[in-house]
Amino acid sequence: MNIKKILTGIPAFDHISDGGLPEGRTTLIAGTSGSAKTLFGAQYLAMGIALFDQPGVFVTFEEQVNDIRQNLRSFNWDIDKWEKEGKWVFLDGSPKDEESVTIGEYDLSAFRVRLEHAITKSKAKRVVIDSIGSVFSQFPEMHTIRRELFKVAMTLRRLQTTSIITAERTEEYGDISRFGVEEFLTDNVIILRNVLNKEKRRRTIEILKFRGSNHVKGEHPFTIIPGQAIVIIPLSAMELNQRSSTARVSSGVAKLDEMCGGGFYRDSIILVSGATGAGKTLLVANFINGIREKKGRCLLMAFEESREQLFRNARGWGQDFEQLEKDGLLKVVCIYPEVSSLEDHFVNIQEIVKDFKPDRIAIDSLSALTRTSTEKGFREFIIALTSFLKHEEITGMFTATTPLLTGGSSVTEGNISTITDTIILLRYVEVSGEMQRSITVLKMRGSRHDAAIRRFTIDSQGMNIGDPFVGVSGILTGNPVVIKQN
Amino acid sequence: MNKYVLQLFINGNSLTSMEAVEMLQAICKENLKGNCELEIVDIQVEPQRAEEAGILAIPTLVRKWPLPETRIIGALSVKTRVLTGLGIASDKS
Repeated sequence: MNIKKILTGIPAFDHISDGGLPEGRTTLIAGTSGSAKTLFGAQYLAMGIALFDQPGVFVTFEEQVNDIRQNLRSFNWDIDKWEKEGKWVFLDGSPKDEESVTIGEYDLSAFRVRLEHAITKSKAKRVVIDSIGSVFSQFPEMHTIRRELFKVAMTLRRLQTTSIITAERTEEYGDISRFGVEEFLTDNVIILRNVLNKEKRRRTIEILKFRGSNHVKGEHPFTIIPGQAIVIIPLSAMELNQRSSTARVSSGVAKLDEMCGGGFYRDSIILVSGATGAGKTLLVANFINGIREKKGRCLLMAFEESREQLFRNARGWGQDFEQLEKDGLLKVVCIYPEVSSLEDHFVNIQEIVKDFKPDRIAIDSLSALTRTSTEKGFREFIIALTSFLKHEEITGMFTATTPLLTGGSSVTEGNISTITDTIILLRYVEVSGEMQRSITVLKMRGSRHDAAIRRFTIDSQGMNIGDPFVGVSGILTGNPVVIKQN
Repeated sequence: MNKYVLQLFINGNSLTSMEAVEMLQAICKENLKGNCELEIVDIQVEPQRAEEAGILAIPTLVRKWPLPETRIIGALSVKTRVLTGLGIASDKS
C-alpha cells in the first residue's frame, strides 16, 4: 500500500520522499537547535502558497511573529501579501512578557479552538507547529501537555491538513526527541542534522520513517541559499536511467583521441591526475579547444588559477580563450574554493549549467575543493555532480593533483576513481638523468584503449604526444628502472 | 476608582472552567465586596476573542486592572494563591 502524498515544492525533497509528505498526516521534524527546522516548516508553507495555491497556518510557540516575518522576507517570500490575502495565517503562541502563574489544572483547549478556527477560516491545507519544545517550556506540566498534544494531533487529523510539527533534539545521533511525543506522532519522522566534523559544518536531512510508504533511505546533504532557502542535494540524484552514449567527442588532441580509441564518450567523466605542473591544465585547455570542432559550448570552473593566468597560459599553448568567450562558446568561472561550502558550490555549478547549457565542463582542480569539506562530504559532492552531469549529457573533465612529483596518488583519486569513466595519468619520469613527461590512459570504460605509457612534450602548439617508453618499467610507482634489452 | 477588571476565558462547561468561575465569583463577592467587573468569555462562542488575547490555556484569568496586566492559568483551586496572584489582601476572618 502506498499512501497518497502532497508535493512540498522544496527542491529535491519531493524526490527523496518519493512524492512529498503523506497527505492528511502529521510529520515530525526533529533536529538540534540551529538545524533549520523552522525554516523547513516555513518553506513548506511558502512553497504551498507560491506553487500550489494551498493556504497554510503557521503556529509559533517560540519565535516572535515579527522575527519570522523578517526572516521570510529575506528569502524573497512575499509574506505581507500572503497574509493580506489570507493565504498565510500566523497563530501566535510565542511567550509574552506578561507575568503568568499557574493555579490548578488546565488544558490547551483555547489553542485547539484557535487552531481549528484559523484552519477553517483560511481553508488551510498545510499546518506547521513550531515547536514542541517551546510548548513544554511555557507549560511545564509534561503529563498534561503530552495529552494535549495528542488532542492537537487528532484535531489536525480530523481537519485533514498535511502538517509538520517540529521538535528539539539534544544530540545529533540519539533519541528522536526528548519529549516522548513519538508515541503518537510516530508515523512519519524526518531528522535534520547540523553536524560539526573536523571543523566543518555539514547539514543533512534524513527521512527516518514514512509509515506505509516509500522514500530514499539515508542522510542527504542540504544547504541554505539566499532566495531559495533549503536546497537538498540528492545523492541518488535522478534515477539511474542515464542513456549510455556511444557518440564520441574530441579531447582536442588528435593523438589522445587515438589513444582512447576515437575520443571520449560524450556522456563520460574524465579524471586527469598528475603532479603540479605535469600538464593537467594544458589537457584541460585542449579539452576546451576541442569544442571548436562541433561548435559546442564549454564551461570551465577554475578553483586554482585566476582568469588572467589561465588566459595567458592558454595563449602560450596557441589557444585563444578570449575569442572563444566572445563567440559565446566558453564561459570561465574562477572561484576560490573557500568562499562557500561544497554543497553551495554544487548548487552554484548546477545553476550555471542550467543557464549556460554547456556540452562540456572542466573542473580545475577537484583537489582544491577537498580543502573545504570532509572526505565523506567530498565523496557525496562527486556522486551528486557526476550523476547530474550524466543526466544532462555533459562531458566532464576533472583534474586531481597528486602530492608527489613522481608516481603517487591522491585522496581525490581514491574517492572518485570508481565513479569516473576514464582516467588519464600525467607523470614525470626520470630517465637517464632527465625529467620527461608521460601520459597514459589508465582506464576507459566500455572502450578499447592504448595501454602504452607515452612521452609527451609541451610547445607553443600545446601537447605533442610521442612514442611509448620502451624498456623502462616502474614509471607509475615513481621508481623507473631501465630494463636491459637482450 | 480602584475597581478590579477581570476577564476569565473558559471552554463551555468543562470541569476546570466551572471550578474557576465559581471561585472567581466567590472572590468578587466575599473579598472584593462587589468592587469588581468580571467578564466571562466562552471560547466556544467567541473563538476570535481567544485569538485577540493570545490565550492558549483554559481556564485563563486576565487581570486587566489594576496594571500591570497579569494572567493566572488553571482552575484557580487554591483561594489564597489566587488572592496573592491578583494582589488582593486576604481576609483574615
